[in-house]
Amino acid sequence: MKINKITIILFLTMLFGACTDLEETLYDKVSSADYGKTASEIETIVGRAYASLRGYSDEICNAFPTGEFVLFLSETTSDEACIPTRGADWYDEGRYQDAQFHTWTPSNLLVLSAWRYCYGGINKINLIIDQVEKSELSEEEQMVVKAELRGVRAYFYYMLLDLYGNVPITTKASDENVTNSTRADVYAFVENELLDIIDLLPEEKIYGRFTQGVAYTLMARLYLNSEVFIGEPRWQDCINACDKVQGYTLENNFFTSFLTDNEGSNEIIWSIPYDSKAGTVGNFFASLAFHYKQKQAFSATNNYTDCVNGISAQPGLYSSYEDEDVRKQGYLVGDQISLATGSVILMDDGSPLSYTEEIEDYTDAKQNEGIRPKKYEVKEGETWERDHDFVLMRYAEIILMKAECYIRLGSPGLARPLVAQIRDRANVDTPAEVDLEFLDDELMREFAFEGHRRTDNIRMGDWFEPWWNKEATPEYRSLFPIPQYEMDLNSNLTQNPGYN
Amino acid sequence: MKNKNQSKYIFIIQVVTMVIGLVVLSVVGFAQNKPVKGTIVDKDNISLPGATIIQKGTTNGVISDAEGNFEIACPMGSTLVISYIGFKDQEVEVNSTDLGTIKLMEDFVTLSEAVVVGVGYGTMRKSDLTGAIESVDSEELKKGVISSTEQLLQGKVAGLTVIQGTGDPAIGASLRLRGGTSLSASNGPLIVVDGIPGVDFNTVHPSEIVSIDVLKDASASAIYGSRGANGVIIVTTNRASKGKNMQYQGYVAVGRASKHVDVLSANQWRAWVRENEVTEAIDYGGNTDWQKELEQTAITHSHVFTFNSGTESSGYRASVNYLNNQGVIKNTKLERLGASLSAYQFGLNDKLKLEAGINANFDKWNPFDGRIFERMLNLSPTIPVYNPDSSFTRIGGTKYDNPVEIHTNRFAQNTRHRLLGYGKAELEIIEGLKAVANLSYEYNSMQARLYKPSYAVMEGQADKGFGQRTLGDYTTMQIETYLTYDKQLNDNHKINLLGGYSYLDNTYEGFRAMRRGFDTDLFLYNNLGAGQDYRAGDVYSYKGQAKLISFFARANYNFKGRYMATATLRRDGSSRFGANNKWGWFPSASLAWRISDEPFMQATSNWLDNLKLRAGYGVTGNQDGIGEYKSLSLLGAGSDTYYDAATQTWKQSYGPIQNPNPNLKWETTAQVNIGLDFSLFSRLTGTIEVYQKDTYDLLYTYRVSSADYAFPTILANVGSLKNQGVELTLSGNIVSTKDFTWDANLTLAKNMQVIEKLSDETFQTEDVPSGSLHGIDGMSGQFSQLIAEGYPVGTFWGPLCTGIDSTGKFILADEGVSQDIGNVQPKLSYGFGTGFTWKNFDMELAMYGMYGQKVLNATAMILNNPKRLPTLNVTDSFLESGITDKVTYSSYWVEDASFLRLQSLTLGYTLQATEIGLSKIRFYVTGENLFVLTNYSGTDPEVSIEGLDNPGFDWFNAYPRPRTFSFGLNVSF
Repeated sequence: MKINKITIILFLTMLFGACTDLEETLYDKVSSADYGKTASEIETIVGRAYASLRGYSDEICNAFPTGEFVLFLSETTSDEACIPTRGADWYDEGRYQDAQFHTWTPSNLLVLSAWRYCYGGINKINLIIDQVEKSELSEEEQMVVKAELRGVRAYFYYMLLDLYGNVPITTKASDENVTNSTRADVYAFVENELLDIIDLLPEEKIYGRFTQGVAYTLMARLYLNSEVFIGEPRWQDCINACDKVQGYTLENNFFTSFLTDNEGSNEIIWSIPYDSKAGTVGNFFASLAFHYKQKQAFSATNNYTDCVNGISAQPGLYSSYEDEDVRKQGYLVGDQISLATGSVILMDDGSPLSYTEEIEDYTDAKQNEGIRPKKYEVKEGETWERDHDFVLMRYAEIILMKAECYIRLGSPGLARPLVAQIRDRANVDTPAEVDLEFLDDELMREFAFEGHRRTDNIRMGDWFEPWWNKEATPEYRSLFPIPQYEMDLNSNLTQNPGYN
Repeated sequence: MKNKNQSKYIFIIQVVTMVIGLVVLSVVGFAQNKPVKGTIVDKDNISLPGATIIQKGTTNGVISDAEGNFEIACPMGSTLVISYIGFKDQEVEVNSTDLGTIKLMEDFVTLSEAVVVGVGYGTMRKSDLTGAIESVDSEELKKGVISSTEQLLQGKVAGLTVIQGTGDPAIGASLRLRGGTSLSASNGPLIVVDGIPGVDFNTVHPSEIVSIDVLKDASASAIYGSRGANGVIIVTTNRASKGKNMQYQGYVAVGRASKHVDVLSANQWRAWVRENEVTEAIDYGGNTDWQKELEQTAITHSHVFTFNSGTESSGYRASVNYLNNQGVIKNTKLERLGASLSAYQFGLNDKLKLEAGINANFDKWNPFDGRIFERMLNLSPTIPVYNPDSSFTRIGGTKYDNPVEIHTNRFAQNTRHRLLGYGKAELEIIEGLKAVANLSYEYNSMQARLYKPSYAVMEGQADKGFGQRTLGDYTTMQIETYLTYDKQLNDNHKINLLGGYSYLDNTYEGFRAMRRGFDTDLFLYNNLGAGQDYRAGDVYSYKGQAKLISFFARANYNFKGRYMATATLRRDGSSRFGANNKWGWFPSASLAWRISDEPFMQATSNWLDNLKLRAGYGVTGNQDGIGEYKSLSLLGAGSDTYYDAATQTWKQSYGPIQNPNPNLKWETTAQVNIGLDFSLFSRLTGTIEVYQKDTYDLLYTYRVSSADYAFPTILANVGSLKNQGVELTLSGNIVSTKDFTWDANLTLAKNMQVIEKLSDETFQTEDVPSGSLHGIDGMSGQFSQLIAEGYPVGTFWGPLCTGIDSTGKFILADEGVSQDIGNVQPKLSYGFGTGFTWKNFDMELAMYGMYGQKVLNATAMILNNPKRLPTLNVTDSFLESGITDKVTYSSYWVEDASFLRLQSLTLGYTLQATEIGLSKIRFYVTGENLFVLTNYSGTDPEVSIEGLDNPGFDWFNAYPRPRTFSFGLNVSF
């Protein structure tokens, strides 16, 4: 019976000496307490802040700065772009019609998308700053690293300031039920942040990074729109900031900044780098613009990604270019020729695929109506995710910002040579005298589909006038509403005036 | 023999009683007696060891041996009374010294009460149960072709819904007991195979299954604690046992797609073009039925070979099986090779029993590109499959690719290896006190291989060849130790105690590698290194682990066999739970009262054989909804790369990956169950169950303010829902004579679910739209269902359509306001089976069905779009419908999918073939899926209701369900 006793003891040990350790063992992830100590580790965490500029997609909505729906929000509400309803396509609960008619509500998905894009970035950066502060870096080193992070965060806040005005300011990793700040406070926050970090930022050009050049460009934008934002014009401050942006030039060829490999452009001040092979997502604006069968025009073997026939130029944009203007080549117009057959591509209903500027009925447009933007290079074999970097700031903007300020300050003579630089490159003449109205149109021609237009429309005042498929716009609609989705999740938020 | 466990049990009782009897008998002598011999068998000619044979009116008796043979000395002309538990007593007149084979007829009622039922960490007789447990035994399981264990359970257990949503041989059915208890987690019951919880059903070959016990209510399943909320299915398989036999089971089956989508033929298309004078329609001159082009007649064959040899002290059993199912869609063959080995040995004066075994199986199949199903309905029937030069025809356009090309120009093979090894030690410490240790190791490894050649229209061309291999492994290691104590105090009191500990470690890991840009297509997926197009995300790997640690106890008390009580308690701790909720308690209690045994029931005892009332309450959990590491603050390296200008390269970034929730815990379900078991007239047994399940702490991914949180959602325990239902099981032995028997059984279940709460102070959600219609023309961003308080999961929410007006527009009631337009959950599910035997012939029929559930026929919604013709094909019914309206979601597409399916019909013949050295041969033919009665207009009304994304959607889930005819042969040696 000796064996029996041993066995019993064995059983009892198994029963009562049992393991009760429930710690989770990590294998393919790290605890936030175990990573982000050294400078090289911190570098990879800072990289995540830049990655957040590309936005994200989840089951609630796409939040991509390159198209759906962050860019769509500023483009389709402006006078240069539209997304016509084509039968059942692109109706999408009327979200684009509301953008076109300036009748959006707080529930509009475009309104939500841009908000989530900005706060998605801000909150990640807040967490990253938290990690930096817990690292082994010295306080001085931390200040330098944090300067760049705060710069990118200021960019997101600038967007919020421009789009929504009275938004919550949060700078901590965990902040619950935040409340709105006034637009003036947000303005001051952005300005102070930029002034605070400017000397800590890299002086030299570093592609894709938040350098002094980027900070001064952002500051120039802030001052250019200062009258809109806080009712106080700061034209000279804008000029001063522009003058600080050094080391960039206008590329001889307008399209150099829009090549697939555009990182070599000396005109680009800041961009969001993309490379589909590096796994970047969201960069598929062209596919949202081109017709379903457009691929036949780019590849004889249909070796081009799918396209879904959406965003188009608003009638008036294309015809605002003179014929010899090189920038006019940045559009798809008229008959599209199949590379395989050499003849015009036929749409499903048998009619030719020929883009027209005229869109007869915005709410029931034909598939081929609307001219399509093609500013960025198109290549056979392209995938849905494109490889060109998305330009956020380029030197032409500095030139035209200065020109506008000179006109505003009553010195159009100083503005003309600046405007001429832009016009010369585009192969068009510059009038003897440039006024605001001319400059307004020039801004549209130069920066079409780069996401500037809504801000320009508001600053120039066109925003409030009727235009194609839009009545006069009330003053309060120069700001978008706080998204209803966010209001529902945080009862501390108050809605912008006019939207209640 | 009903089943092995039961026979063992009975055998022991018999031996004990007979030994006592024989001692008494052996002292009495008889004169003029002649030795008379015979063999006792059941109606299936299976020998019955341990049957009692007594000369009538005397105490002279013997018991039959292991082969059912007996020899008794008795005078000619006397009468022998043969009795056996579970069978009716039979009298035989002695008119010869060899009485030959004596067939006993089952005593229906006693038998059903004597069934031994798995209750988790032990077994009990059905008569002693206090909880709601339903059993399906091997006889019901093994009449004809068994293609899968899940299918076998269809319609057999009241309250267990088994939905086979596709005809794809590689995809199994989903199980759901008494409605779902979870929004986001799995609603499948816990599967326990031979005492090992959490085993994959498919690890065990269906022919190896002896019995399946379904623990339906919480008082029964609470012993499994945080995994018991969706019920527990206990599977007992054939392990080594006493006796010696060999068996072969095999069948060959022929299957064809049972139904197609009625799209226009080329001639119908041409007639439409002519009649409507459509000028721009392009006729490609072909005459193609795209569905038929992809289909084939599927031949399936299956073979199982088993042998077993066992004695009192040791034994072994081995089994091998092979299955080859071609699939009714070309290139979708499934092959499965499996084997199992088990052995036992007794030691320490028979006080210690050791068991060990291993189950292994290997699956190999060819996964296909699901996009063929949409294309085969899209393409014009006038497009020929091939060009004159025998290349594939290609018509440009989105979703307009040649499905035969997609299907052909693709190389894919998946393999899955499953291994289950176990060891069990049972030690009798003192009489009645047993210690049990159960160790198991389960390994499941899946490898997927895919190559899209450079000439393939889907991605292959664009990628210049795309190769990919994926490996995913998981291992589960488990140790369970427990003590049981059985004690009969005197005639009146019986107790059974259980206490134990369990440790479970689940580890999963895997990787994927892919590459594009191949110079040659010859390597397929076998040389990924040859691809030259490098991309981020081409390689990744992962690993995770979860631990579950439990303590459990159970006490049973039985007074006079009339009053029974059971109480269980389990304490579960899981590594997945948040730091603030690491451990949970799961108690239960239940009572039963056998009314029919009360003295005051004497008057009814001639017709009421059994009447038992049961009541129970228990708390169980579901922890499937919490993934690993969800409660922690973590950094991850993932797809978010960043551009480093200094090196001009892309680098990996690190960042936070989730909003951590340290409060995460299991979902809790409290269930009350009241049941009534009855048997009448020795013919009819039945059970009625009534239950209510209240689930709270429901897990759901809540949206949180983007200004407050870094990530838009957080997983939290917030909501609650309720299931209530009634179940009826009836089983009748209608005719029972020596040559002819007829039995029938019926299951009926009704479950009602309602979501009671979705929000609390911290986390709120409005009604959540679900069932996205994104992907249907004009439906992007639109939803078909609503998750809302006061409604069940899977409620279709949309405008009510009252018809189509004369201009072909949908008439929407209430100005098109969205409303409740039906639900994916059945109002009633039922099953019906009946069997006959006549002499050596037998026939078995099984039907099941559901009533009142709705299915969104998204396929029809897509195909009935007036913009499709002439380019894209439409259904015949579209032309009749006269629809001219744009695609609109409404009740028009939400169809009643009630159905009744004749699942199988088997006709068999059993031959005693002892003369040629075989003990038994059985031939049978089985027809499966012979018909479906339904008003549903799509191909099949049985549609998966799993998940929240698109439950109850028929959206090109068009792998056709086959109608199959098979011929089978079972031989016992």
